[in-house]
Amino acid sequence: MSVIECNGLTKVYGGTKALNNLSFKIEENKITGLIGRNGAGKTTLLKIIAGLIKETAGELKVFSEKPFNSLQVSANVIFLHDQMNLPTALNLKELLETAASFYPNWDRELADRLLDYFSLNPLQHYNGLSKGMKSTFNMILGLSARVPLTLFDEPTSGMDAAVRKDFYRALLKDYIAYPRTIIISSHHLNEIEDLLEDILLVKEGKELHHMPVADLKEWAIGLQGNTAVIGEWTKNKEVIYTKSIGIDQSYVVVRNHFTETEGQRARNAGIDITPVTASDLCVYLTSKTKGGIDDVFNKG
Amino acid sequence: MSLTKVSLTNVVKKQYVYKLKAYSQVFMSLIFLQLLAVFFSLNGVGGMAGGDESIDVEVKYFSSDYVTAFTMLWGFITAILITTKAYRNDDFVFVTNRVSSNLSNAVFLLTASFIGGITAMLSSYLLKVIIYYFISDVPIKSTTILEAPLELLLGIFSTFLYIFLFCALGYLVGTLVQISKAFTVLLPAAFFGGLILDGLRGKSGAIAYVFEFFFTESSLPLFIVKIIVSAGLLFSGAFVLSNRLEVRA
Repeated sequence: MSVIECNGLTKVYGGTKALNNLSFKIEENKITGLIGRNGAGKTTLLKIIAGLIKETAGELKVFSEKPFNSLQVSANVIFLHDQMNLPTALNLKELLETAASFYPNWDRELADRLLDYFSLNPLQHYNGLSKGMKSTFNMILGLSARVPLTLFDEPTSGMDAAVRKDFYRALLKDYIAYPRTIIISSHHLNEIEDLLEDILLVKEGKELHHMPVADLKEWAIGLQGNTAVIGEWTKNKEVIYTKSIGIDQSYVVVRNHFTETEGQRARNAGIDITPVTASDLCVYLTSKTKGGIDDVFNKG
Repeated sequence: MSLTKVSLTNVVKKQYVYKLKAYSQVFMSLIFLQLLAVFFSLNGVGGMAGGDESIDVEVKYFSSDYVTAFTMLWGFITAILITTKAYRNDDFVFVTNRVSSNLSNAVFLLTASFIGGITAMLSSYLLKVIIYYFISDVPIKSTTILEAPLELLLGIFSTFLYIFLFCALGYLVGTLVQISKAFTVLLPAAFFGGLILDGLRGKSGAIAYVFEFFFTESSLPLFIVKIIVSAGLLFSGAFVLSNRLEVRA
């Protein structure tokens, strides 16, 4: 069963298209990473899925229903982001109690234990928390609610490295015990790639790739060697990224269409073949130019 | 994970309970405003004085009219307040849609008006006590609760309805402002412009007529119908207008 079905989704904000004809499907009980640059439309997409904003054109269905103004979707989706507006009059404990009253699967014990583990004072108010602690509290809300579709938008923003690690581990443990559909948008792909099953890569409001992480890791390879030799080898290949190293050395990332023998011949010609990490590949794929920031400084 | 089924009434109920707790600040402002109004009333709301060489007569009227007026204003402002982003977006953290959010707001305002109505009416007793002990030793002619319990109940009920009417008006005004910030200028301009225009023409216009329509009704059933229908219309207007509002930070 598809949890989310999206067809030609477009959202226009004052003239610019935050989402531009986006189409994809997300299956049940998978952890999907929503990856893209700043302004690629990740948050907009999550907001539409959560029913906070309405699409301009196209169709999006969550649990076979349009999310905007749907009580069923709202009851089965929780959306955590760093601009959450929580009632200021309630302290953390009261906020958790309120959440418990709304979500039938709420795990009170887990919430209390997490709150205790991350040393959050139950009598404190959400607005008095630091950025990282707010994110930590959001995560507690998201995990304890145990709703069929959990959306995390930049869940680790502001968290320190230790808390980030704890978060990934907590998420995985709870997911294994209670499988559910989770979408995480994050800039730290290298940290979460072991957690993810699928990756949805968006660029300028469009779907670039939607595939399992394992496939993405094999999707491209990096070639390094003499510029002239590399140029010869990559002539008819799909070049994703190029970088010059030193005077006549370059590093080029191409689509992985190499066969075993081809790879051997390349190595014999003095080319180093290295795998490209999913994280790096996503950066290359979502970049506007083939040369990255170097192009800005190379005036010639 | 299996899907949860929810009903509108169930969600509205939960939201109402949560709002009573989360919006508790509005009751603090109610107490503050009513105390302020009691303070203003200590000088009397009206009176006359006269006499000759051997006698001085001073007549002062004390009433809780100020308190009631302040409470109506409080209802209006509270209703505007809960339509603002800070409060509206709170709902969207938990389970909600726009209909349930509006309905629970309406029920909350109904409760708030009721509490406001009771405290406004009871404030007249506070006023009497303060005047007796601190201002004048002259006992004030007044009816006790036991003498005329029905009058007090009637007073509470009609005050409650007036406050609720103001809440409904405030809710619509607040919703309009949420739709476009232009209304923050347009609505006061229309209201005060209308008053000034009426003053210049020397005739009573629409605003005066509206006041007359609600505040001079002598038949209780008719008064109840007027308020319920008007508040219903104001709320439905707000519901329809806000049903497409997006949640933006």
